[in-house]
Amino acid sequence: MTFTLGNYYPGASLLHKLDPRTKILASLLLMVVLFMINQPLPLVIFGLFLAFMIAMSGVPFRLVLKSVRPVVFLAVFAWALNVFTTPDDHYWFSWSFLHASPQGFWVGLRMAVRLFFLVMATQLCLTLTTTPLEMADGIERLLRPLARLGFPSHELAMMMSIALRFVPTLADETDKIMKAQSSRGADYDTGGAIARARGLVSVLIPLFVSALKRADELATAMEARCYRGGEGRTRLHVLRFSNKDIGASLALLLVLALLLVLEYGLL
Amino acid sequence: MPDTFIDIQDVCFAYPDSSDTPAPASQSEQSFYDAESANAVDHVSLKIERGEHLAVLGRNGSGKSTLARLINGLEIPTAGSIWVDGKSTVSEADIWDIRRSCGMIFQNPDNQIVATTIEEDVAFGPENLGIPQPQLGVAVSQALAYVGLSDYARSAPSELSGGQKQKLAIAGIIAMQPACLIMDEATSMLDPLSRQAIIKLVRKLQQERGLTIINITHDMNEAVQADRVAVMQQGRLLMEGSPAQVFHQVETLQHLGLDVPVHTAISFYLGKHFKLSFPSGSLATPEAAEEQLRQSFRFLERPKDDGTAKTETLADQPRPQIKVEDVSYVYQAGLPNAKRALEHIDFTVKPGEFFGIMGHSGSGKSTLIQHLNGLLRLQSGSVNILDYDLRQVKDIRQLRRHIQLLFQYPEHQLFAETVWDDIAFGPRRMGFSETEIAENVKAAVQVVGVEESWLQRSPFELSGGEKRRVALAGILAMKPEILVLDEPAAGLDPAGREEILNYMRILSEAGTTVVLVSHNMDDLARLCDRILVLDHGRRLLLGTPAEIFSRQDLIEQGKLTLPASKAFLRRFQSACPQLNTDCFSVDAAVSELARFVQLKPAAREEVRQQQAQKDRRGGTTL
Repeated sequence: MTFTLGNYYPGASLLHKLDPRTKILASLLLMVVLFMINQPLPLVIFGLFLAFMIAMSGVPFRLVLKSVRPVVFLAVFAWALNVFTTPDDHYWFSWSFLHASPQGFWVGLRMAVRLFFLVMATQLCLTLTTTPLEMADGIERLLRPLARLGFPSHELAMMMSIALRFVPTLADETDKIMKAQSSRGADYDTGGAIARARGLVSVLIPLFVSALKRADELATAMEARCYRGGEGRTRLHVLRFSNKDIGASLALLLVLALLLVLEYGLL
Repeated sequence: MPDTFIDIQDVCFAYPDSSDTPAPASQSEQSFYDAESANAVDHVSLKIERGEHLAVLGRNGSGKSTLARLINGLEIPTAGSIWVDGKSTVSEADIWDIRRSCGMIFQNPDNQIVATTIEEDVAFGPENLGIPQPQLGVAVSQALAYVGLSDYARSAPSELSGGQKQKLAIAGIIAMQPACLIMDEATSMLDPLSRQAIIKLVRKLQQERGLTIINITHDMNEAVQADRVAVMQQGRLLMEGSPAQVFHQVETLQHLGLDVPVHTAISFYLGKHFKLSFPSGSLATPEAAEEQLRQSFRFLERPKDDGTAKTETLADQPRPQIKVEDVSYVYQAGLPNAKRALEHIDFTVKPGEFFGIMGHSGSGKSTLIQHLNGLLRLQSGSVNILDYDLRQVKDIRQLRRHIQLLFQYPEHQLFAETVWDDIAFGPRRMGFSETEIAENVKAAVQVVGVEESWLQRSPFELSGGEKRRVALAGILAMKPEILVLDEPAAGLDPAGREEILNYMRILSEAGTTVVLVSHNMDDLARLCDRILVLDHGRRLLLGTPAEIFSRQDLIEQGKLTLPASKAFLRRFQSACPQLNTDCFSVDAAVSELARFVQLKPAAREEVRQQQAQKDRRGGTTL
């Protein structure tokens, strides 16, 4: 059984090749700027920039669009809330205490658009073009300065990477246990929610026991291979900023500066 | 001039409190009732030479794995000391050096892979040692090339087979430039082909790089390839010597629950039949054993025995219980990564038959048996079980009452609070009445020798072999007419293996239809009435063991391996053409040979002397 985690879309575009740290920081910056702009023109330009990035990454547009699905409800809800709660000079119509305002319509729309942009931009930079392992590496490196303050950045990254490593193994095991219990008459597809939840006990307990055993054996194996924490460890693949990262960062900063200028005018 | 690499000096070790300490990772055999032998390792002294290949044999729980952990410094002796290359494992300063030079491979291939890609996993050890680039990258790619996994460098571990995963583990050790490789039952979860590949790789390391090899194993086919064999029991070192010397102690080893090579056993018992003992070490290889037998025995002319009546009675039986017709199955059908698992499989199983399904990993065995109780939906063809047509069955649970499937490592499916509840789970789900359940549980428990006192305990307190018996009882408690078992003896030590296979025989004799899936030719040959051989999802052969193993062409192509007993008997076919070589157990082979041989005069003289010696010794001790 093969199992893919997240929705990484393999490719060799500039976006794929950037250092994960660049992409994590860029996503944070994009997020901040997105909350600072509110006027239509900067939003449209942001949209065009996003479209440009998608085209460049080679990720099919529908995949990126699919990523906003979980927030559609939230966006529509926020939009509706705005329509009915924003005070205005005149209203399209009123019903009881709800007044539909044109002003609210536009405010809500911009809010929804920003939410979509936010999700699409982070999905594109992070999950779609960065493997989970690169992400873990990038986060570790970014958090490393905090290690001096006692923050376990190496341990965190090691935990993430081991979790990633064991997802397919445990998925396989779940499948096996479910089949074994089904043979013994367990039934996971029929009955009410409670019956089904109870049925899952016969899967979860063996799975839990086995995960603990695996953890114990893995710890022994790691110790036998001289693992003693992050200190003094070298890495096979060291993250290195390249010219690409510098170029991409400069380009991004320029675009973001332009957006802010358009939003707030030249100071 | 002996160059001692590892010096174990009168070492004792006890787990602090065996009730809440995890047992050795490789095999949690520290069960509650043998915890009374407080020392897991008990006054063991052993010197291991540099570049030596040592095999350590012993039953589960005999302290083998603990010994390995002591050498590697994962545990510290409670008494005595261990010196590795002149360094003590007690020394904090030297421990990392010892762990680097003594790499360890564990039993479960999955539980020793740390990283998400193959190359990163190989790099894990050297990374821990702080080896900088570019040496690190070179070490990793050289190690991968050595074990033949270079093509997988960037793959995920889940894409590898069990055998490849163990090769990966070995690569991870090689990259640390070790002086010694310790294998803790590293091949016990692999199929025979992968086992051979791993042992070949390890021997290459010994020869080319002078590595010291310590192989802790149940597989005596591996042990005979070692330079020296040590046998452990209850924490003590019981025997030690060359494989030829150790395996000559046939009865002692079997009494300990261990195996000896089949040719040694056959020759030994043939000798015993004629009261003749052979000189120590004379039965080590099949060639030597043949030579020894030819020296002592004269071969006679006898009429051929035509006594294989069992198959004929079965042929008269009426309608089959399992009828599989033209079944094909494709995983991920319609997708680019579609994989054909089965192609046009046909076979029938008769009531009461002991039916074997044999094939290498990936031959489609498990896909096939999952069709038998409806775990996989039929894609094409038809399956009939008893009166059920699987294309039309509405309530699959009705069918599963009659045909039960025991998966590999079934102990992993235990979950209930008590052993009793776990065994009763199946019958309960199938809607048996409470009195019926109580009766069935009791009956099932008796068949597999689960003691009454266990019933109210948690299944998680039991050892691996005991859990397996409980899992088997959980299946038997449903009183199935057909029992399908996938490698029921995998990972057990020889005595545990024999025990489980014996239950199969008992059930079969009691009238249950048994379908046994295995890649062990010897087991299938001696147990089964008929065997279906699968090869890459196709039916290669179907027939009695005698028919199957007469296919010289397939044996030469490497698709079949001759059972060891038949291979040995064939050595005597030139001397007596009437010898029936279709004997698949040691007992059968011995009695067949015994019909055709007679002691030579010199050997008869030898017997007389041995007898006299024994009498004299008996006289003095009395």
